[in-house]
Amino acid sequence: MAMKSLDPRVNRLGIPEEKSELQPKGMLDQFETYEAFLQVKEGKALEHVGPVHAPNEEMAFLFAKEQYSRRGMFCNALCVVKTENIFATDFTDDGQDVYNTITASPSGEETESFEVFHLMKRGKQHKYAGDVMASSYEDAFVTAKDHHQDAKPVFNVWICKTDHVLSSDEDDRDIWDTLKEKQYRDAIDYRAQDKIKAFKEEKSA
Amino acid sequence: MYGGGNTFEALKGTALADEDPVKLAEFEARINRGEKIEPTDWMPQLYRKQLIRMIEQHAHSEIIGALPEGTWITRAPGFKRKLALMAKVQDEVGHAQLLYSAAETLGKSREQMIDDLITGKSKYSNIFNYPAFTWADSCFISWLVDAGAIVNQIANSKGSYGPYCRALERICAEESFHLKYGHHCVIHMATGTKKQREMMQDAITRWWPPMMHFFGPSDKISVHSEILMRWKVKMASNDACRQQFLDMYVPKIWELGLTIPDENLKKNTETGEWEFSEPDWAEFKRVINGDGPCNAERLAVRRTAEERGRWVRKALLAPKTKYVTPLA
Repeated sequence: MAMKSLDPRVNRLGIPEEKSELQPKGMLDQFETYEAFLQVKEGKALEHVGPVHAPNEEMAFLFAKEQYSRRGMFCNALCVVKTENIFATDFTDDGQDVYNTITASPSGEETESFEVFHLMKRGKQHKYAGDVMASSYEDAFVTAKDHHQDAKPVFNVWICKTDHVLSSDEDDRDIWDTLKEKQYRDAIDYRAQDKIKAFKEEKSA
Repeated sequence: MYGGGNTFEALKGTALADEDPVKLAEFEARINRGEKIEPTDWMPQLYRKQLIRMIEQHAHSEIIGALPEGTWITRAPGFKRKLALMAKVQDEVGHAQLLYSAAETLGKSREQMIDDLITGKSKYSNIFNYPAFTWADSCFISWLVDAGAIVNQIANSKGSYGPYCRALERICAEESFHLKYGHHCVIHMATGTKKQREMMQDAITRWWPPMMHFFGPSDKISVHSEILMRWKVKMASNDACRQQFLDMYVPKIWELGLTIPDENLKKNTETGEWEFSEPDWAEFKRVINGDGPCNAERLAVRRTAEERGRWVRKALLAPKTKYVTPLA
């Protein structure tokens, strides 16, 4: 016997009444995670918006576009980096700048390009600070101190290799243009005060 | 959308006596300063476990809540309503993803959470165990269940856990369209033909009792809940949320000439508090423990999606991947 529902779509699934043996989900059944960074408009820094689960980089990009730039949220550029490929420093406390905990000095070997993200306030999200040339993640952190340390303290730094970043293409910028006829997705499209007023007047008349 | 009435009973392995007193003091001082707690910070087990439970239940509620509303996408009256409802349901599923990710930063994988949902181990908002018989039911959910959810979510977005707050900020921004859309739908029905008015009234009569259950039973003040309030995990009592909801929405229901099926419902002008008949908590318990009209169907639909989607995920799986918890 198939399960009966009010929903014709559920009826079409033909779900048997008796429960089948359920296999628990395997580890990674839902894929590894990628961190998504979004630029709200030209000239603003890329900012971390959150993670997505995806089987590969391209799909991570698509999922991030759906999740974080949907519905008229302003977006000018988006990039994704596999979580595993991001090096995160420790958090500092009480306004201490994480760059001031560094004791090492830069190797000076500029073998690879790295991207640097800063957390300027607890509870907020990491923002893009710039790139550095260095020989390793740790070396990139040390090198970034000279290039990107500012008067304001940085609580936490994320570093990834430039090669590990998948970014939206400048030429594809029109993918962010929202169609005008999608106003039904905005609160402003649902004005109803007139209707309530007319209804009340009719009732009291 | 979100189910209120979280459970806050004590969890196993969370005794404060087992925690490092120095670290605990630092943790509390940080919260007192109004700073957010981030995933890599030290936190007591009670904080971690309670937040996992809360955020996870919230995520499940978004997923399951999409089912009764999704039922009406194909039968929504007119193209514009279909588009809007589809956009709303898509939002709810997106909210679940944001919330699963926030919960993951506390150390429970998304696979494990989804497993716990479909095996019935974790709960979701009880209100979704009721069926949406007519279009008017769908209008009720879009307006008033979402309104109840927003009361909860706005309170929680001022909590202390960074990733949860950030997810909620995004969610609340999107919910503003849901609420307006739902209100618009209800106004259309309530100011329409006699038949439409009757449908809307029937929906309110059907959904009012589960709506009163929505925020959960009165919370007993316990040492446990006091700690969770101090740590900004629990932001408002169930009663306070219910009062706020009644205050904001009962007048809006009444102004449309609709009747709420509780003759004791009124605002006490002296105390400023709403009075109402005590909801049937035995019914609430019965439904939340699995014996509601739609519990079996909701879980069966999720199970089926899980089982029948397995081959797709298998085909996409990269065998060498290793699991890494998201950063924030």
